[in-house]
Amino acid sequence: MNTTTLGAGPGAARAPVGDNKQGSLSDAERLDRAMTSFLRDFNTTSALYLEACVHCGQCAEACQYYVQTGDPKYTPIWKVEPIKQAYKRLTGPLAPLYRLFGLKKAVTIEELEQWQELLYDSCTLCGRCTLVCPMGIDIPSLVLAARHGMQEAGLVPDDLWGPTERARREGSPLGATKQVLKERIAWLTDDNNVTIPLDREQADILVTISSVEIMKYPQSITAMARVMNHIGASWTFRSDGYEATNFNMLSGDRTGQREATMRLINAALAINAKTVILPECGHAYQAFRWAGATMYGRPLPFRVVHISEYLAEELRAGRLSLKSDARSMTFHDPCQIARRGGVTEAPREIFRALGADLREMGPTPAGNWCCGGGGGVITIHRADSLRHRVFHLKMQQVEDTGAALLVSSCSNCRLTFDDGQDFFHWDKTAHSLVELVADNLAERH
Amino acid sequence: MNGASVLDFARGPVFEIALAMLIFGIAWRLVGIFALRRPVDYSEPRAGTGWGSGLRMIVSRSWPRREFRERVLHWDIVSYIFHVGYAVAILGYVPHIMLIRNLTGLQWPGLPGGVIAFAAGLSAGALLALLGHRLTSPVLRRLSNFDDYFSWLLAFTPLVTGLMAYYGIGGNYQMVLGLHILAGDILFAWLPFGKIMHVILLAFSRGTTGAAYGRRGAPI
Amino acid sequence: MTDETIRDVLTRRGLSRRAFLQVCASVTAALALSPAEAADMTKRLETAERPTVIYLSYQECTGCLESLTRSFSPGIASLIFNDISLAYNDTLQAAAGQAAETAKDTAMKNAWGKYVLVVDGSVPLAQNGAYCAVAGRSAVSDLKRAAGGAAAVVAVGTCAAFGGLPYAAPNPTGAVPVSEIVRDRPVINISGCPPIAEVITGVILYYTTFGVPALDHLHRPMNFYGNTIHDRCYRRPFYDRGMFAKTFDDEGARQGWCLFELGCKGPITHNACPTTKWNGGTSYPIESGHPCLGCSEPGFWDKGGFYKALSTPTGHWSRTGVVSGAVAAGVAAGLSTAAVARARQGRAQKKAASADSEPKNPTS
Ligand code: SF4
Ligand code: SF4
Ligand code: SF4
Repeated sequence: MNTTTLGAGPGAARAPVGDNKQGSLSDAERLDRAMTSFLRDFNTTSALYLEACVHCGQCAEACQYYVQTGDPKYTPIWKVEPIKQAYKRLTGPLAPLYRLFGLKKAVTIEELEQWQELLYDSCTLCGRCTLVCPMGIDIPSLVLAARHGMQEAGLVPDDLWGPTERARREGSPLGATKQVLKERIAWLTDDNNVTIPLDREQADILVTISSVEIMKYPQSITAMARVMNHIGASWTFRSDGYEATNFNMLSGDRTGQREATMRLINAALAINAKTVILPECGHAYQAFRWAGATMYGRPLPFRVVHISEYLAEELRAGRLSLKSDARSMTFHDPCQIARRGGVTEAPREIFRALGADLREMGPTPAGNWCCGGGGGVITIHRADSLRHRVFHLKMQQVEDTGAALLVSSCSNCRLTFDDGQDFFHWDKTAHSLVELVADNLAERH
Repeated sequence: MNGASVLDFARGPVFEIALAMLIFGIAWRLVGIFALRRPVDYSEPRAGTGWGSGLRMIVSRSWPRREFRERVLHWDIVSYIFHVGYAVAILGYVPHIMLIRNLTGLQWPGLPGGVIAFAAGLSAGALLALLGHRLTSPVLRRLSNFDDYFSWLLAFTPLVTGLMAYYGIGGNYQMVLGLHILAGDILFAWLPFGKIMHVILLAFSRGTTGAAYGRRGAPI
Repeated sequence: MTDETIRDVLTRRGLSRRAFLQVCASVTAALALSPAEAADMTKRLETAERPTVIYLSYQECTGCLESLTRSFSPGIASLIFNDISLAYNDTLQAAAGQAAETAKDTAMKNAWGKYVLVVDGSVPLAQNGAYCAVAGRSAVSDLKRAAGGAAAVVAVGTCAAFGGLPYAAPNPTGAVPVSEIVRDRPVINISGCPPIAEVITGVILYYTTFGVPALDHLHRPMNFYGNTIHDRCYRRPFYDRGMFAKTFDDEGARQGWCLFELGCKGPITHNACPTTKWNGGTSYPIESGHPCLGCSEPGFWDKGGFYKALSTPTGHWSRTGVVSGAVAAGVAAGLSTAAVARARQGRAQKKAASADSEPKNPTS
């Protein structure tokens, strides 16, 4: 991968300048790039969404940020106002009328700068708003489209820009380079006395990892290996395609998103994988399971599953057998995997197989509260206090279940939970579903 | 202009112009949207093409999901009173059915005038409440623009003039009836150009999301 | 002879006081006067001077006069009108030609400034009024001359009141109502095609006794035109309950349900039909199963058709034309705005591509 491809982004010339603007573009150029990007993105679907809104304000009632602050600027559809404005002026069927009567003003650079906070700090792409909107508008997809323009214009929060840019340079947003991965796997193998196949030339299954796991929760990698080995699958990690977290998608960097996606696809193709397993990472699921083929430009020649889906399948097939763990547990459905990903039953099958006393949270899975760290928000430090405010909702929801154990299947959620736990001195720790399974593997006789 | 000529005008040229605007605008807006680039989704669906979910969501999103009821149901109910009252008045009143028959050839039995007046009255009350809500809720004030208030007005006028005509308020019946029909004409003509277009767009936007989520097997 | 009172004439004709009171009773009933007003009218009729009525006809069909002369009641009222007061009417009188003209001039001269001028028919203005002329004089100049000596002008029938049939689109003769020509003295419109006889006689007697009655904004006497047909229609309960006849011979029609769907214009038509009725109080159109045509309202010929429900469009232009034109224009507009949007998008794409050095096809 040639690092000069960073030229696609305005930050190519220099590193982040520290004022949440990247590159040395003039305001006019930034605006022009954003508008160009907005224009590129419009299609029938986004057009329908941008046309259909009736300004009923209900989306606000679903959004954690509005619910917790009561500030109307956090109304989901308001967060995409600039792109809506651009659409109405330039692309929509009535655009000539809007311009003729001056009903929608041209987007300004000041507006874009002002909206950075709304588009990045206060939207986790959780998709709750989609489920309440009476018009069925999928607002997170519009937020992502708007972020494309912000990225092109170099108007991304530095804290998110950093990992994104690093991902394009090093292949991983959090510094989990190929080298780091290899070392990690080496010491994990030694420490835990577990076989972790890396870079096998042929395997049925390519297992991928999230850099959050590599850097923060390496035990997850061991857990995955132990489970895969228990099942007896033909699988491998690949050092040329391991990083499933796609921060570039979150910042709005299309090129970086494609690069990250293509690394996984190429690795899977190289080993003739029939299946790619995505790790416990919500955005990875969104980026690869649902957006991967579209990045590829045609259907993928292998199937893509989340690890929880895979485990449920293996349970059903009888290749995975578990000891019982009857503790009371509650499960946090990661937004991108459940509400927006469609995986809702698989984790529950696993809990049933464990014989766990599963205590569902209030509204779940469809209405589950986000952990508050998705969409790249966890990386943005200036948004911490806001994130802690919305975390209240999540804590309350967890507390209400009275369950002893909190489990999730996303390491990004886990990171957010850990941070929240620290901040609030909360007594609940989020656990990994895969680790839970790994800890309860039945002995093979 | 006296009542008779207002009435003739409203039933005559203005109606035809309004009808033309209605059809023209709907065609323009829909074609204008659907002739844009279509996104392609190459991902392997989890659960079929999503068509079924699309259709299902068109219906199911008419009522809030359980998770959200606590926060939105009350205003949804007010909105429903407005919408249902409006629909009863439009579709249940025989003079209106005559218009529909004239336009489409379809007809059905009507409801007693008292029922219609009651429905229209409720609807008007709900509409006023919704305006009050729009003017006082910080979220709605932030979102609202000319279209919201203008469309509100155009939805409200036929209700009021219709009730006035029904109860013989406002003196000159022909004038009131003429204004009522005129208000209806204007509503027709405006429909495709503002938010009232949601009566058509809602099926498409709900259907699109329903299908997208449906093929993922995600809840809708 | 002009100083005679109505009572004098009746006495001279051998009518008893009892008969006179009967006349008064029927007239006051038709006018729906209160008992006090009725007593007042009786008193005034006794002393009122016999009116002189001059009746002129222009673009008309004589239906109004037919209605008047064939009225049954109040019989004596029409007697007063036809036999006693009517000084000139070219249809009813025996005289013709020059003799008739002379009679008219004489009658006008005798009561100049005091007579009641009754006009039926509209007045054509196109081609200098050539479409209607009497004795070499156009209707418009004839009317102007006759109106010059009238105390009041009564426009009888919708043609005289609002233009009526001749006035209907495209109005080839340039017909106008009487009120367009006579602007300097009171014009009372007694509209209807034709008007009810009792209404005509009632209004003239009212004028004789009390002067110009209270008029609505179309100059029609409120006594007779104050309510709509719909206000007083005995089928109204069916309207309110939403029970409508759909054809002329369905169950609804037999049951006497509301005729709105069959085009009834009752809701916008002001007239006395439901109360005064026709043919000596026998019935009125709706009672005989036919929707109201709205004949006492201006422009009733041009309301899109007698059998078209009031709430439906009048069908100003060809519906197919309107609909197909709108669809075609809408599709064209949609395609062109989308084409413009896509062209913009294409340019944006190209611009982005030239800014990007990213590989075009990531798989190659
Ligand atoms: S996706 Fe979630 S966080 Fe973003 S606007 Fe919608 S509800 Fe709010
Ligand atoms: S809920 Fe939907 S329709 Fe209502 S304001 Fe939000 S986006 Fe618009
Ligand atoms: S028949 Fe005509 S006037 Fe009578 S109630 Fe029906 S619409 Fe009214």
